[in-house]
Amino acid sequence: MRQLKLKLLTSKVKIAGANLILLLLCTSLFAQVPADYFKQNCVSCHTIGGGRLTGPDLKDLSKRQEREWLVNWMMDPEGILKSGDPYAVKMQKESRGAVMTRAPGMTKPLATALLDLIDEESKLEKSQFAGSQISDRPLLQEDINEGRALFTGTKRLKNNAPSCVSCHVVNSLEGLGGGRLGLNLTRAYARLEGRKGLSAWLVSPPSKTMSPIFKKHPIDEEEILPLVAFLKHETEIDKPENTSAMINFLLFGIGGAVVLLVLFDLIWNKRFRAVREPMVKGNLTK
Amino acid sequence: MNENTFFDYLDLFWFTILPYVALFTFFIATIQRYRGEAFTYSSLSSQFLENKIHFWAMVPFHYGILTVLFGHFIGFLLPSQLLAWNSVPIRLYIFEITGFIGAIFTLVGLFNIIIRRTSNPRVKMVTTSTDWVVIAIIIFQVITGIYTAIFHSWGSSWFASSITPYLWSIIQFNPEIAYVTSLPIIVKLHIISAFTIVTLFPFTRLVHVLVVPNPYLWRKPQVVRWHWNRKKIRTTTFEIKRK
Repeated sequence: MRQLKLKLLTSKVKIAGANLILLLLCTSLFAQVPADYFKQNCVSCHTIGGGRLTGPDLKDLSKRQEREWLVNWMMDPEGILKSGDPYAVKMQKESRGAVMTRAPGMTKPLATALLDLIDEESKLEKSQFAGSQISDRPLLQEDINEGRALFTGTKRLKNNAPSCVSCHVVNSLEGLGGGRLGLNLTRAYARLEGRKGLSAWLVSPPSKTMSPIFKKHPIDEEEILPLVAFLKHETEIDKPENTSAMINFLLFGIGGAVVLLVLFDLIWNKRFRAVREPMVKGNLTK
Repeated sequence: MNENTFFDYLDLFWFTILPYVALFTFFIATIQRYRGEAFTYSSLSSQFLENKIHFWAMVPFHYGILTVLFGHFIGFLLPSQLLAWNSVPIRLYIFEITGFIGAIFTLVGLFNIIIRRTSNPRVKMVTTSTDWVVIAIIIFQVITGIYTAIFHSWGSSWFASSITPYLWSIIQFNPEIAYVTSLPIIVKLHIISAFTIVTLFPFTRLVHVLVVPNPYLWRKPQVVRWHWNRKKIRTTTFEIKRK
């Protein structure tokens, strides 16, 4: 018995030891290249020399505000806004109330490196972050149709990204509707202030959920215009929300479960007969 | 430490450290238990003690959980094929509704397990506190899963593009937690609870999953017969004891 206890104790010590080694191994965080980081996290709201999107054009940013303030802002924009800082409040007003969120993995050295990058890019005649070059041609019915196919997934996105319907819904979708992990995109075209803002978003989706996926599977340039056309169409027709989709999903699930349970009872309805049933009955009559 | 940094560290703990603790505990403890106590690798069935509610507990539970786990494994092993399957809306709906029915089956089974283990004195007698921990955590897992299926659809598609790369990054010792840190809190709790189940697995009756007697499905039937006089055997045993 003593030996068994000792054995158990030894095994627990071994497991704890292995886990401790693991804890020590799991300490690496992410090293970021500023240009890649800017592309992944900033370009959907900002350009450098390409004009305002949701957020301001960052060209010559260091001439407008002190570096220390900017670093603090990048580290905790919501906190600075809450403190009532006049410059932050002014920027929010200019962005029509949009609030900048703290970008993932932001650190002081990364913020400084990003400001250096903005300074360098501001000196160039045309920055690589001057904004997406989406065509200005009129949007056609074919574009809307193709955009709908890309949105619902009947046409797969070229770089194997999941289709929009996996996480999003638009009100014109029938059946059980679209996904509900992300936002309803019926008014996305209006929210992102038109073709330019929406295109910039789609080139590099900045939402924390989408960013890691679309970093590896970006939406192809040729796919952006049809998606913009489709979402513009959705904003224009602005159908009311299909509230029955979720209820229908629930009913299908609960109904299917009830039918299957009845079926199980029918399939195994002889489970107490033959050997067991007479024995059970015999026992009860005694 | 500001609030954001605190949550960053919390995410690092739940989605980087916990998975490795879970996996290492799972592998080391299951092997150690099998080597030291092979005969405890059992579901510790109580079917002989009560068989009526048992049917409505075990059958829906196992059909349900196997369906749900099958869906998760498809997403994990064949993400691209699953996305291709889901590209036709009706197929996506069939996949999601099947998984949802599986989850309801699991919940019905768990509900009956609780009724059976609290109402039948003989089954109550053989129920341990570890069994209650297992039941509680599986209930939590199923409820968060059902909530996710209803309010954060379509999980089969976003699992394949978000959770699958995260899980593979864990296996490849290069954790990319950005895939999961921004998911809704219920989904995060579902993932954390899954890793907790993996951690507890080797110390509970869940180990029976590793020793399912699959050959029973295809082996020839066996007839067991007694070739001696049972009365005589009993008498002899009794006499030996008296002596």
